[in-house]
Amino acid sequence: MNRFLGNKGAIALFTLPTLLLFTVIVFWPILQVFYRSMYEWDGLTVGQFIGLDNFARMFGDRLFYTSLYNGLIFAAVLAVLQIGIGTILALTIAGTAVKGKKFLRISYFIPVVLSVTVVCQLWLAMYNGEYGLINKIFEVLGLSYRQDWLSDGKTAIYAIAIVNAWQYMGYHFALLLASARSIPEQYLEAARIDGAERWKAHWKVTIPLMAETYKFCFVLAITGGLNAFANMYIMTSGGPGTETYTLTYMMYRSAFRVGEYGYGSASAAFLVIECLIVTFAINKLIARERIVY
Amino acid sequence: MKKALALGMTGLMLSTALAACGSGNKENQASESAPASQPASQAAGSASAGAPAEKTKLRVYAQYSDDDTKGYYDYAVKELAKEMPNVELELEIQAQDDGQKLKTYAATGNLPDIFNTGLDQINVFRKSNNILQLDEYVDKFGFKDKMQPSTLNTLYTDDQHVYAFPYAGNEFMLIFYNKELFQQNGLEVPKTFDDLKKAVDTFKGKGITPMSIFAKEKWPDVGFYDMFATRYNTGGISALDKGTAKITDPGYKEAAQNIIDLVKAGLLAKGSTNMNYDQAAALFHEGKAAMFINGQWEIEASTKALGDKAGYMYYPASDAATYEKNKFAFSGGGTPGGFAVSANTKNKDLAAEVASLLALKYAEFKYTEKGSPIVSTKVDKPVVKAFDPMMETLAKDIPNITSTTAFAWGLSNAKFKAAIEDASQNLLSGSSYTADQFIEDVAAGLK
Repeated sequence: MNRFLGNKGAIALFTLPTLLLFTVIVFWPILQVFYRSMYEWDGLTVGQFIGLDNFARMFGDRLFYTSLYNGLIFAAVLAVLQIGIGTILALTIAGTAVKGKKFLRISYFIPVVLSVTVVCQLWLAMYNGEYGLINKIFEVLGLSYRQDWLSDGKTAIYAIAIVNAWQYMGYHFALLLASARSIPEQYLEAARIDGAERWKAHWKVTIPLMAETYKFCFVLAITGGLNAFANMYIMTSGGPGTETYTLTYMMYRSAFRVGEYGYGSASAAFLVIECLIVTFAINKLIARERIVY
Repeated sequence: MKKALALGMTGLMLSTALAACGSGNKENQASESAPASQPASQAAGSASAGAPAEKTKLRVYAQYSDDDTKGYYDYAVKELAKEMPNVELELEIQAQDDGQKLKTYAATGNLPDIFNTGLDQINVFRKSNNILQLDEYVDKFGFKDKMQPSTLNTLYTDDQHVYAFPYAGNEFMLIFYNKELFQQNGLEVPKTFDDLKKAVDTFKGKGITPMSIFAKEKWPDVGFYDMFATRYNTGGISALDKGTAKITDPGYKEAAQNIIDLVKAGLLAKGSTNMNYDQAAALFHEGKAAMFINGQWEIEASTKALGDKAGYMYYPASDAATYEKNKFAFSGGGTPGGFAVSANTKNKDLAAEVASLLALKYAEFKYTEKGSPIVSTKVDKPVVKAFDPMMETLAKDIPNITSTTAFAWGLSNAKFKAAIEDASQNLLSGSSYTADQFIEDVAAGLK
């Protein structure tokens, strides 16, 4: 094995096909986005180089700030709900005392494999202002808290974020469960002998040892939130008005509805940088050193 | 041994990955071509009887997604097979995607020979030289003589050239209403916004939704705003598009404020900005909503559901005098659009001939089978499905119409179109969106 890994030629040979694909499909388009963000271009004719004008225009555009703000809210909701609830569920299932573990494990994961469209349609029916399940529940409970969830600019973005959080919570749950299971039993036992009760032991021992998985989960949840698109596209089409726009949606609007590919590329470029900064920050802040048991 | 194992594993992984890619592609191709091949083969089937073996294949990009649009296309293909048996059409189904698919085709040099298109796309393709100028064919086929004189605005663009053979004619936005519900509640047909507000209050008190609109699609929202805007400036949104009016003119803000006030009073059903056509129309058709916003093509469906209880009203205005004065200043109207021909098609003459024939046949189908006289071209075939009474009424109103504007899809400035679509939907959301914000957002689109 060592001899094989020492053979640089072989490594190059085997990574080359993937690297080539990655470059063509991912890296080259990203470079194109940055390049095209400096053009006034309609996607069909030859563009005109305008330097950083698109960015200047973007920073003065109210839609940009709405989109940026919504992306941050979306990311925050995903991070809190997916990772928070995912952790509680994972640690509960990882414990030995729970009955029907296999059933629970599978049912938490089911939404992940469903299509986004199916999930969105399901929640559209639940959020419906007239006959939706959620409003009915408030009605049954005797609370006058009926809402027009998706048509109210203030609640819509949260309502949509919750749908995404619900769907992919199972994914984070699965990652966290696998991570919790891989921690050797003796650490928890030692904590219990020292007198820590179960959740305290988890708080002090299990969770810190899962830091590397958390790092991965946070990167996924936050970047996923920042570039959210499908949920709002299906559920509100960015509406009411532009209230549920994200940067990805803004890119879609600029490029495909208005035909300003250059301006759309500018918001995409900003999004790429934003995601890179977040990923970098998470890597700096969480699990700086490799954890070895 | 280890080395061999590692090599073997890597090889296996690579081959499965590639296999997965390969099969995925195949499936995609199959699902893409399946719907396209069906009507084309129908066309071939009906035409092959007496046709010579040599046939020219043309790709057509047209709507074919529901019974309504399928009816048009199938009729046109059947007729085409009779008149031009030497042509075989290969259908590409038009996507509801703001023209993305068509633009991608254009960008990759893969534009279908004939495509159904609207004004904003014509403008884009005109600049990028993707669309064929059809002036010579209009003369050659005598298409202008086949047009109704009142619909020539749908043939010529602002540079006085022809880029598409039109069929739709000048269509209108209408406020449909349920006469019975108004009578039962002792309400007159509203002439002013105050009357409308009174109707809203009365209906709300009775648990009836005053008005339904499928505001998830954004063009009805723009049309609804335009109905109000035309009470102040008969040019409405069209005047903004053409630059003959400014969004800062007081009427545009007042129109926005009128809508905000009415929505706050409870004009619309909850969740209107998330309703599609089926949901909104069901409210009106089942007698749960008193009014409904749609184009005049709704006449057929509403008459079917409500019989002679359904009617349309003239748009209310700020006062009775304005109401009377602008009664026949309608919102909506025709804009250039229809079947266009790719500039890069190999068979320019043939494609142009087929495009013009398709437009004529679409109009013919609408006139004879869909109960609508609102078409661009003259039709001399006998009517199969008689016009509904409401359509008869509208047909009598049409000669009196003093002005029209445009539907959202007829706006030439794409940036303005997107801005007013988003802003008009916001007006209907009943949130804290103000008329000033509306003006600001639309102004941003006009910059």
